[in-house]
Amino acid sequence: MGETRRRFSTFLVVAGIVAATVVVMVLDRRASLDGGRDLPAWVGAVMDVAAPVQKAVAVPIEAIRDAFSRYVALVDTKTENEQLKAQVYALEEANLQLREALVASGRLQRIAEMRERYEIPMLPAELVGVDGSPWFRSVLVDRGRVHGIRSGMPVISEQGLVGLVTATSSRTAKATVVLDRQTAIDGVVQRSRARGIVRGKGASELGFEFVARGSDVQVGDQVLTSGLDGVYPKGLQIGTIREMSAPGARLLQEATIEPSVDFGRLEQVFIMLRRGPTMDLLYSTRVGDEEPGAGAGEPGS
Amino acid sequence: MRPAAAVLLVGAVLLMVQGAINAFVPPHWTPHIGLLVVVGVGLHWRNAAAGVLLAALLGFVADLLSGSLLGEQALLGVVAFAAARLGSQHLNLRAALPQMVFVFGLVCAHSLCIGLLDSFFGVRAGIGSWMLRILPLYAAVNAVFAPIVIRGVGALAAAFGSEEAGRRSVRLPGARRAT
Repeated sequence: MGETRRRFSTFLVVAGIVAATVVVMVLDRRASLDGGRDLPAWVGAVMDVAAPVQKAVAVPIEAIRDAFSRYVALVDTKTENEQLKAQVYALEEANLQLREALVASGRLQRIAEMRERYEIPMLPAELVGVDGSPWFRSVLVDRGRVHGIRSGMPVISEQGLVGLVTATSSRTAKATVVLDRQTAIDGVVQRSRARGIVRGKGASELGFEFVARGSDVQVGDQVLTSGLDGVYPKGLQIGTIREMSAPGARLLQEATIEPSVDFGRLEQVFIMLRRGPTMDLLYSTRVGDEEPGAGAGEPGS
Repeated sequence: MRPAAAVLLVGAVLLMVQGAINAFVPPHWTPHIGLLVVVGVGLHWRNAAAGVLLAALLGFVADLLSGSLLGEQALLGVVAFAAARLGSQHLNLRAALPQMVFVFGLVCAHSLCIGLLDSFFGVRAGIGSWMLRILPLYAAVNAVFAPIVIRGVGALAAAFGSEEAGRRSVRLPGARRAT
């Protein structure tokens, strides 16, 4: 009788925990469909604790990696130096010609104007941790709600688009990287303005899908955000077309994109302190989510 | 209570450390520490209810530090705990090699379940070819680290004077309980 009772109580505990995890998953999915989640303090505390721990662990690892890479770099320094010098001369010549051409056509002026028009305040953040599972591609950064960060804000680096903030705690934020299989971005080929959907594959490359057959897309083309998804601002660099698939009899063609950001060496990112219109629309239905930056600490503090 | 808290704390810290390491090493070259700790708990814990709770909490910490749905790795942690517990009752998982083989299979099943759950909830597009390509390598990396982590969990539980934790033995035919 006692054994049966013990087993029954164990079964109840297990069933309760399983049910609780399923409920949490459903609630979290609903929250992510609403654009992201600002975690409650007791949950976010784990992320807040993780940031300093991961920072501390990263210091010796980085030192070892730097020492190793310096040693490896020294092995072929002489040959590499000669090659680089030759490259620098060639690039300086090409750069001069390109600058003259740009100035002549007035494009430089237009690019400068465009940059001014789309200038968005940004907050630098340090990457403190990367997803432990290869099936998810997310990063943890050392800025959170107290710094004015909200879910739905785009994350970039000097190389291009990194991802989107999907969860925040008081002092940290989790960003889903564009490589994640969850990602879909409206992209445009810079040269021909051909459009398609950039999708994360989980691997180190991106897919460029739903490109209309006959669209002018070539290997080496730069792909940028179109801004039409209302999530990312227009003109952020995503990557370069590496491979085109033969369309065959299909109406749509696909391509593979090499991301412009080197995610293996990502250390610092910039969080754009303004959400896209789609994200704002999603958030406008949520109670208690104030305007980004309103009532928050001074960015950069 | 104390060994459970110790294992939870150490497991959580290891997950954080793994996050820092993965900034330099690709994730499929590092073991899924949370899962291996759960397997260790499944092989050593006598109290099933406490073990399930521990597995769920470790999974939840992994969820917080990862891009998965909250609760996803917690649920799969409970399943992994159940698999390890059943495995310890019906298989001899005392030696390193059987543990490695068991973990290899478990990691494969765990990863495929992640793909299926993501697909079910419409978060990501199921199991991709890339996932299947790196899965054997990832499972092998986990298998290599499994005996170390499992032994570590047992040692940690023993160090905190556990009455709940201790090596579980194979259930013998005819015996009602062999623990």
